[in-house]
Amino acid sequence: MIVPLVVAVTVVAGLLALAGVASTLAHRRIGLLHLWGAALLELLLLVQAGIAVVLLLGEERLADTPTFLGYLAGIVLLPIAGALWARTEPSRWAGTVLAVAAGAVGVMVWRLQELWEATGG
Amino acid sequence: MAETTGDRPAGGQPAAAGGPGRVLVAVYGVFALAAGARAAVQLSTRFAEAPVAYLLSALAAAVYVVATVALARGGRRVALVAITVELVGVLVVGTLSLVDRAAFPDETVWSGYGRGYLFIPLVLPVVGLLYLRRATRTPSP
Repeated sequence: MIVPLVVAVTVVAGLLALAGVASTLAHRRIGLLHLWGAALLELLLLVQAGIAVVLLLGEERLADTPTFLGYLAGIVLLPIAGALWARTEPSRWAGTVLAVAAGAVGVMVWRLQELWEATGG
Repeated sequence: MAETTGDRPAGGQPAAAGGPGRVLVAVYGVFALAAGARAAVQLSTRFAEAPVAYLLSALAAAVYVVATVALARGGRRVALVAITVELVGVLVVGTLSLVDRAAFPDETVWSGYGRGYLFIPLVLPVVGLLYLRRATRTPSP
């Protein structure tokens, strides 16, 4: 886990959530912008997950590794699930669906950061 | 805006969630994921510490999964049962976790009425029941 990456994930997730809510408020379906946003978010999460796993295989020790891995596995699924569930929604609510997934990523990434900082000592 | 855009009745087939219902399914899905991951970790790594609390945690996860699937596929009756169990669960576990803290050493999604999750676990079943009621009232051919 690298803090700048956590911040980047938060920013992209926040912007994606805003874009999703905006499309709902504008009575529009989601567009390419939303899908690219979800793809970028997923890419950042995968990079971060890769770094975390490499560090864990090395010297890094956490107080609660199983919980950390559980969250890590969950968070990388969220943008994909959100995008799939939103894409098949023909109404303006697709944007809000994506916003829910993005918001959850934004919260979970900080929970992950907390778990990362709690070291096993 | 006119009535809900969500219902797509298809000749007796239960209508899959659409419109605002789809947002509800998304929120339920997130909680199914969060509660499921949490319960899996608790049961597999430290079950002996607080068996009752962790079994309730697993029950919460199961309820969210059932509610998510039922809402997504339009299974009204199953969704109604699951969401009612969820409402009772969050109230009972929320109260127990405050009264007897020793029995709940680890936060679950329902601890303190979902305090650790912005109280969404407390609001969600109420929204779910209102949604189901409205969806049932909508006249279907």
